[in-house]
Amino acid sequence: MVVGEIAEEKDVVIIGGGPGGYNAAINAAQHGFRVTLIEKEQIGGICLNEGCIPSKVYTTSAKKLSEVPGLSSFGIDVGEPNFSLGNLQSYRDQVVTTLRKGVEALCKKNKIEMVEGHASFLSEDRIGVDNGHQFDVFHFNHAIVATGSRPRYGQGLDVDHKRILDSRSIFHLEEVPEHLIVYGSDYIALEVAMSYHQFGSKVSLVLDGGKNDFDFDSSINKELGRLLKKQKIKLYKSCELKSVENQGEETHVSLLKNEEAVLLEGSHAFISLGHQPNTEELGIDRLKMDLSEEGHIKVDKQMRTSISNIYAIGDVTEGAALAVKAIKQSEVVSDTIAGKPSEFDGTFLPTVVHSIPPIASVGLTEEEAKDQYGDIRVAQFGYGGNGYATVHGKREGFIKYIVDDATDLVLGFHGLGEGAVELVSTGTVALEMVARDEDLKFPHYPHPSFNESISLAEFTTKREKVKS
Amino acid sequence: MVEVKLHDIGEGMTEAEILHYFVKAGDSVKADDPLVEVQTDKMTAEIPAPANGTIEELKIEEGTTISVGTTVLVMNAEGAIQKQEESKSAEEAAPQAEKIPTSSSAATAVMEKTQGRVLASPYTRKIARDHGVDIENVEGTGPAGRIMDEDVYRFIDGGSTQEVEPAEEKQEAPSRTYTDQQPESIPFKGRRKQIAKKMSHSLHTIAHCTHFEEIDVTDVQEWRKEWKSLDQGVSMTAIFIKAISLTLKDFPMFNAKLDEENEMIHLEKDHHIGIATDTPDGLIVPVIHHVNQKSIKEIHEEMKSLTAKAQNNELTSKDMTGGTFTISNVGPMQGSIGATPIINHPEVGLMAFHKTKRRPEVRGDDEIVIRSMMNVSMSFDHRVVDGASAVTFTNRFAQLIEHPNLITLELV
Repeated sequence: MVVGEIAEEKDVVIIGGGPGGYNAAINAAQHGFRVTLIEKEQIGGICLNEGCIPSKVYTTSAKKLSEVPGLSSFGIDVGEPNFSLGNLQSYRDQVVTTLRKGVEALCKKNKIEMVEGHASFLSEDRIGVDNGHQFDVFHFNHAIVATGSRPRYGQGLDVDHKRILDSRSIFHLEEVPEHLIVYGSDYIALEVAMSYHQFGSKVSLVLDGGKNDFDFDSSINKELGRLLKKQKIKLYKSCELKSVENQGEETHVSLLKNEEAVLLEGSHAFISLGHQPNTEELGIDRLKMDLSEEGHIKVDKQMRTSISNIYAIGDVTEGAALAVKAIKQSEVVSDTIAGKPSEFDGTFLPTVVHSIPPIASVGLTEEEAKDQYGDIRVAQFGYGGNGYATVHGKREGFIKYIVDDATDLVLGFHGLGEGAVELVSTGTVALEMVARDEDLKFPHYPHPSFNESISLAEFTTKREKVKS
Repeated sequence: MVEVKLHDIGEGMTEAEILHYFVKAGDSVKADDPLVEVQTDKMTAEIPAPANGTIEELKIEEGTTISVGTTVLVMNAEGAIQKQEESKSAEEAAPQAEKIPTSSSAATAVMEKTQGRVLASPYTRKIARDHGVDIENVEGTGPAGRIMDEDVYRFIDGGSTQEVEPAEEKQEAPSRTYTDQQPESIPFKGRRKQIAKKMSHSLHTIAHCTHFEEIDVTDVQEWRKEWKSLDQGVSMTAIFIKAISLTLKDFPMFNAKLDEENEMIHLEKDHHIGIATDTPDGLIVPVIHHVNQKSIKEIHEEMKSLTAKAQNNELTSKDMTGGTFTISNVGPMQGSIGATPIINHPEVGLMAFHKTKRRPEVRGDDEIVIRSMMNVSMSFDHRVVDGASAVTFTNRFAQLIEHPNLITLELV
């Protein structure tokens, strides 16, 4: 290793080339800054290479596969589908490569300097980059930390990426597991469970942390439970995880339910327990940067850390580990550096699950709304009454929104069913626009469409329980 | 049970920080024992026990800033009479607190209503951002408490103090980029806000007029040299203060307070001279009381102790109130040759002393001599006195300084 003696002068240095980092780089370059983007692996980050994009290739495949048996109703007879994981993986690689090349071209077009290596802060205005055979020192005016996160395991789980898998390795399996035991309750756990079920695996789903249900709105939880049962995905609630052990061809998951031992014998286990911020190797212990208890970098609404010329965005900051957050924050941070007033507000960050059928949610759940506002009204419409859903043979699902009974203010919007991921944007816009119920009901929605459900939803009033 | 509340202890305070408790729960105290030390934007003060009794509970943590009327601690008082008195004064304090809603309490109310959600559309939020306004401080008047564009504009027009100049727009030319420095925002509160309030109130109320004069201070400097050689160090300011007091004796209209409401001018008999003092937190005006009854030496000593207290933030309410005339000595700063000082309302006059310079002076028989000359600026309330009397006032003061032996004629 050659230690560089002279620090190169840089303007804006971004650490991490995920959706937060590369978008911040492009935005900052468009503001006229000279930008240096440091990435130790591949540009695109988890989202493009290991996360959102590969997983959506899988969930899309699963969805298409699930639709095959219904095709005969439309006069299309294709016989028994033949699923090839190998072909799917080729397609995944093709999609990822296409998108990555797109990002690389954008970076090049915006004259972003790409540096490969592992970056760590040396002081509040200097950073070192180690790429194995060389160590460069950069002196920067502004630095943006966008190092993202990695799957969290905890509880001494030995993830070997062969039989015991995390959200990266699950999409690199060479064969469809015979019996996949999923431990988790978040969107990744659900997507993996439902996708592999479609691919032919037997799937068992164990809610993590002894939870007795998912974290969605109660109506979604209820319908989701029914759908899992129908899909013959066995759901284990209120179980304490004792151990996950790989024994050759078998993977044993030991649980404790009501003080009784339950042993699940599967071929593979998949663990999804959220994300751990990548802050340890950044050298920020040399700086006096404020971190949360869980190790996230604390930032204000303009993405400033406690050090005035260092910013942080994406999974490395507090809050949900979602690319939608990182992308928005990348706009905010480049505006902030350019001196334009900007702010990030994650109050109405939508949550989506590409399950079968999909789930989408924004704002308060019915329970949260009752807790915070007292008397509320809930509008709900089942897809059974939606003509377009019937045409598609997708009669499972509903949309639901919640308003404050006193002011008619929309508080939350939830959907489970075909089109929910696109539908939720109507709810998000309504919430951001401080809409009241009539603002959602008055507009024209295309007929026939899934959207129509919004104007058809009928209210029921829910009174706050008198607290004793 | 007696609730001990934070009262207005002068200077129009609305809030104070709890610095230190002298007692803890369970302690027994006597009436007038100090219970707690509080810090306002101008001074440190102690709240005494209203009666004999025992401390029940300390309500506010040390380091917390509270508004007037807030209950600081609860004590069990002995004797019903005192109890009644106290509960009465507590009642008096409460509406006073309501009268002066602080911005923080208004913001909290909005926060509680919205449960952390900002009730404004993204477009409205951008208007606020572009004007450097924190949307959470804006009260919504729209349906369901929604913050409208107009609410933001009204907040901006309301002279909000949080406005931050939007920094310069984006930069050009990638050949050499310049860093946009983020503007720094300093909270406009505490003493700075108090000064602003007093200054604008004075300027809005008083018909200010200022004239200038130059005074030969060579002889006073000679006196001081002589005193110093006798180990009697006395500051220039102390001599000026005495000379002002002697001048006020001849021109009592400059030691007056105008009471417009009752159509009266009150002539103060005692001379309480305020001394404008610079501190790291801003200007404050400690007062030397009864200057007319004090010797130059006493004035000098008192001034020294007041200045030290001011710099250490130890001035009490008494040290800062009751002034009848104010002086401002900027001479030692070697700066200005003139100013238009703002009068310390409700006083009538203020004299500022500027730098002293060796200058050629033409004497009676066309002789040029080198003398130490000092400029003064005299601001007066033209509603109470006129230019002519102000000139005679300044003339008399100049006479006393230029011929300091005249001061001895005034010895009682």
